[in-house]
Amino acid sequence: MKKLKIIFSCVFIYLGSCLISYSQPRSEIKLSFDHFYNHAELTQALQALAKAYPEFMTLKSIGKSYMGKEIWGVILNNSKTGPAEHKPGYYIDGNIHGNEIQGTEVALYAIWWLLSNYGRNELATRLLDERVFYLVPTVNPDSRDVYINQVSDPDSPRSGLKPYDDDRDGLADEDGPEDLDGDGSITMMRKKVPLGTGTHRLHPDDPRILIRIKPGEKGDYLLLGEEGIDNDGDGLINEDGPGGYDLNRNFGFNWQPEYVQRGAGDYPFCFPETAALRDFILAHPNIAGAQSFHNYGGMILRGPGARNMGEYLPADRQVYDYVGKNGEKILPGYRYIVVYKDMYTVYGGTIDFIYNVLGAFTFSNELDQDPLEAQRTRQPREEESPDIRAMLGQIGRLEEMEYHDLVLLGEHFSPWKAYRHPLFGEIEIGGVKKFGRRVPPTFRLAETCHRNAAFCFYHADQLPRLEIARTEIKKISGHLYQLDLSVANSRVTPSISAVAIQNKLHRPDEVRLEGKKVKIVAAGYLVDEFRQLTRPIKVRQNRLLIENGVPGFGRVNLRLLIEAEGQADLIYDSLKGGLKRKTLSFD
Amino acid sequence: MRRIRKIIVVLILTFLNVLFLKPGYFLGAQAETKSRIFEPRSFEEIISFCQSLASQNAKLARIIEIGQSYGGRKIIILELAAKENTSAPMPEERPAVLVSANLEGLHFLGTEAACRLARKLIEEYGKDKIITDILNRRTIYIAPILNPDAYTRWFGRFRSERMTNSRPVDEDNDGLIDEDGPEDLNGDGYITLMRVKDPEGNYLADPREPRLLRLADPKKGEKGIYKIYSEGLDNDGDGEINEDPPGGVDINRNFPHDFEYFVKTCGLFPGSESETMALLQFMAEHKNIALILNFSSENTFLNLQQTGQARAGAERVRVPRMYASMLGLDPDQEYTLKEIVEAIKSSGFIGGMEISEEMVASFLGLGPAVTLDRQDLPVFEAIQKEYKERLNKASLDYPEKRAKPVQKGSFVAYGYYQFGVPSFSTDLWTVPEPKKPGEKEVLTPEKLKAMSPNEFVSLGEEKIAAFLKAQGAPAGLSATSLIEMVKSGKLTPARMAEMLEKMPARSIPSDEEHPEAYLLTWSDTALQGKGFVNWTIFKHPSLGEVEIGGFVPGLRLLPPIDLAEKAIDFHVDWYLELMSRVAEIQIQEIKANKLSEGVYEINVFLTNPAWLPTSTAQGRRAMTSWPIRVKLNLNKDQELFSGEPVAIIPFINGSGEVKKVTWTVKAKKGSQISVEASSPKLGKVSRSIILP
Repeated sequence: MKKLKIIFSCVFIYLGSCLISYSQPRSEIKLSFDHFYNHAELTQALQALAKAYPEFMTLKSIGKSYMGKEIWGVILNNSKTGPAEHKPGYYIDGNIHGNEIQGTEVALYAIWWLLSNYGRNELATRLLDERVFYLVPTVNPDSRDVYINQVSDPDSPRSGLKPYDDDRDGLADEDGPEDLDGDGSITMMRKKVPLGTGTHRLHPDDPRILIRIKPGEKGDYLLLGEEGIDNDGDGLINEDGPGGYDLNRNFGFNWQPEYVQRGAGDYPFCFPETAALRDFILAHPNIAGAQSFHNYGGMILRGPGARNMGEYLPADRQVYDYVGKNGEKILPGYRYIVVYKDMYTVYGGTIDFIYNVLGAFTFSNELDQDPLEAQRTRQPREEESPDIRAMLGQIGRLEEMEYHDLVLLGEHFSPWKAYRHPLFGEIEIGGVKKFGRRVPPTFRLAETCHRNAAFCFYHADQLPRLEIARTEIKKISGHLYQLDLSVANSRVTPSISAVAIQNKLHRPDEVRLEGKKVKIVAAGYLVDEFRQLTRPIKVRQNRLLIENGVPGFGRVNLRLLIEAEGQADLIYDSLKGGLKRKTLSFD
Repeated sequence: MRRIRKIIVVLILTFLNVLFLKPGYFLGAQAETKSRIFEPRSFEEIISFCQSLASQNAKLARIIEIGQSYGGRKIIILELAAKENTSAPMPEERPAVLVSANLEGLHFLGTEAACRLARKLIEEYGKDKIITDILNRRTIYIAPILNPDAYTRWFGRFRSERMTNSRPVDEDNDGLIDEDGPEDLNGDGYITLMRVKDPEGNYLADPREPRLLRLADPKKGEKGIYKIYSEGLDNDGDGEINEDPPGGVDINRNFPHDFEYFVKTCGLFPGSESETMALLQFMAEHKNIALILNFSSENTFLNLQQTGQARAGAERVRVPRMYASMLGLDPDQEYTLKEIVEAIKSSGFIGGMEISEEMVASFLGLGPAVTLDRQDLPVFEAIQKEYKERLNKASLDYPEKRAKPVQKGSFVAYGYYQFGVPSFSTDLWTVPEPKKPGEKEVLTPEKLKAMSPNEFVSLGEEKIAAFLKAQGAPAGLSATSLIEMVKSGKLTPARMAEMLEKMPARSIPSDEEHPEAYLLTWSDTALQGKGFVNWTIFKHPSLGEVEIGGFVPGLRLLPPIDLAEKAIDFHVDWYLELMSRVAEIQIQEIKANKLSEGVYEINVFLTNPAWLPTSTAQGRRAMTSWPIRVKLNLNKDQELFSGEPVAIIPFINGSGEVKKVTWTVKAKKGSQISVEASSPKLGKVSRSIILP
């Protein structure tokens, strides 16, 4: 009896361990997602993953940043199920804005999750077998490291670190901010002045908050801007800090010069980081879907970034809407909106480039909502404004201070303290520290990573999934056959986007017959099977071009007249939808 | 004996001739073969010419390799600047001029002119005062061939006018790349045309000049006979001929100002080509460039027309009430420009005039982001006027109506609109207008503009009447009444010309001369017929019997040597003249006005003695032309009382305009105050004063 009990408990333990091993990924590599990775740590993590999963992961440098750091490109593909260029590609980048760091963790999480769940999770297995992933976890390693390792503030450095003459005085980066109080963050400077000579006053309930005076009120404080001194003696403080351009305005589609679009750079792709992305993206024309992570505000954005070149084509908008609306379910609180219409104008952005040059459906998620906005119920009428306001950064709110005190436990707010400034004399320095806004607190980072990666997986799964659904061979006479052929697409994304069809961005899909004795005599779209109507397709040396590809959730039906003997391979070759092959027999 | 002497003289002359033959001086040497057509030098010859120029004149010149073409050919720039016996700073810190040539690949005259310009600068340095001054104080960058792939293709198996680089592009989007280019079927070395009789043909021989083809006009009862193809085979068996030739992208359409998206020859996106990027990067690294002088098929001296484009954000617009009612539109509704164009056309207000979206955008004040800034216009117009006068004086025959405007995505437009400096381009030469025998000098609106009222009246009634008829003036307007109006001062010839320009264009009757007839005349008269391949029968493998013929490639690009010589000399001198006009700053004077013991008002007078302004208005808008920073340097015993520590002067116009900066300082009598003025495109000057 006792023995039985032991056996029983052994079985129980065994079962239990099975359950445990099947309820958690059997990860070869332990990574934590309550931590922001600096570039060295990211490099280490990626190298460890590449070493642990050599059959899936390729890690390579796609270029060097301005300061000479490697920009890592990751390719995930199961080569046993076919070469990468024969599968639909999904692209992810993050952290193009140096201070918007958490996109990198999301990309890293996506890599880690797919690799460690292959073979045990159905979706991970399917995605790695059927799709290929291209990821650039950080586009801007220079500013990432400044943000994480050095002094910074929540909003900078957004730019890259190539010296840039922000104030157009002929000198570049000659007057940036300084961490005068040595707390590791660039915060604010304020000065108490005689009543009636100030522009601000203290909040009656919390003296850490400054309020701008209304007309008629008297102020006794001046807000002096960010911490710093006048380095170049021109009478201005912090007017030309590190960098000063915007990599996400430097892409070559609908690019506009600096005076139309601030931060654009001298010309498209003039920075090493954007040039590296351009080369990586263009080298993989099978990319059919993409994501470029930013922060913040809780948005699933699509282009166009600007009004001037018109809305996206209606057929493509339907695809965007389908994926975007479902994305809102994966990302509670996030809203699927359009850049130019619901946010602001962006010329020369990444997502317009990928959509209009590669013809790939591209989103940009603004990761994480303002924690206080997230708690409020949304006003249905002014749907956009709260987030925009939050994004632009409202300072001086009581709730924010409560959040800093009670939830963040004071970790990310620097209390005002006295400082003697070379120009202003006695001042106070304090305010929200660099991790205090825009990035999630580390206890929420894992959720940000998982939900946004899940959205990418959903989108990647919604790329064209083609299948040679029907091949019906009918003998006409001798070696002449009629082949009725259907290629079906079980996903929402068409094998060629409308923008690509309209502007001939890439080659159409192609039907080929390969074999020793096979020749396509004539071919057509089977328009009406019952009335036997076909619309002719030009035959080009045993190839047919399928100009419009296979629509989303649809199929393309063809009828071919063939001279054949023995066996022949039927190939449906789509740049974005992958390559499908089926062997046919003619007797 | 006399014969021997004669032989000796000839020998000596020949020897001298050989002796004075310098590298690249071949044009002069061939001057005796007057009617021969200008032969471009090969890419390698141009490169080695520049290299030997630099190596033989190391104190003045060096070669900078700025990049490579898609085909791997190097792109070079000659940097010319005197580095000895001058107080000027390093070449990259001096105000500079960029002379750019042959972005189009086939503008051989431009390449030759750029080389001649380089050689002249070097040879005349130390001899010619202006040139010595230019190289002592400025840097001249000369890029002789900016599209080497197209340039080199010209010297291949056959000639065609393809201007693209070597990038393989799938023009017909069939998944195969560069699979169907032209073939020289008749072996004459040229790609011309094939005409073939076809039931669907819509071309017929021009009634006046049967060698030329024109579209049949069904309204006149005409029916087409021919189809036209370019010379070649259907290599990929898709039924099309030459639809996907080798190459490429047209580099002079690949720049980021007013770029045309989704046009394959313009490139996938602005700056998609290494040639474009090489030049853009060079310019970004040489912000001292203050003037761009370009050689291309565009002639911006004679044609100020801009590319035009609805301003960003003008997708849908409202039409002002007064126009809306005329056009039958709702003033409260937004329309696309296309819809407005349609409305204007159907309103019948403009007759048969062609009207474009750009015109509407400009009319509604949406503003093409692409017109010369009003403040810059006087400079461009003054230069235009002077250029025309010089053309006339040199009796160079240039038909103004053939001057091409800047194109979309072109370099010279980028130079002005984005790089923000005065930018000019010339094509050097174009096929002249044939002089028709017996024809009197014809009056044109252009000529009218420049006429004084007296000159107009003295033309006489007959000429004016002919002019009115040619312009399609209404019957009620007679020459007599017009003369009266001008005499009485009610109307000036200039105003009249303006009115004429605003009139709708007339439709051209089909019995009028074929638009290419002048080319044929040129070929027949000046080139002994060598500019046109007469139609000859050829047995084509897929089309059957065809005729091959047409204009010889390069007809518009390559003049006879004597004309090339004249055009190059003229433009080399013109560009040297413009180079000497680059803006500069001088501190003309510092005045210290004693207000009290130890208190002084300091007035600094800055001036620009050169002809061009220190920046263009467009450059200031684009923020690529810097203002002038005037800095007061005080020692530790001196203190600023009023005024900015660094004063900003946005710009100073040319020809000696003066701008003043005032400071009040506390300083000791007898102490020194110094002032420094600088700007990246103007360099740095300083001056000091001892306080009285």
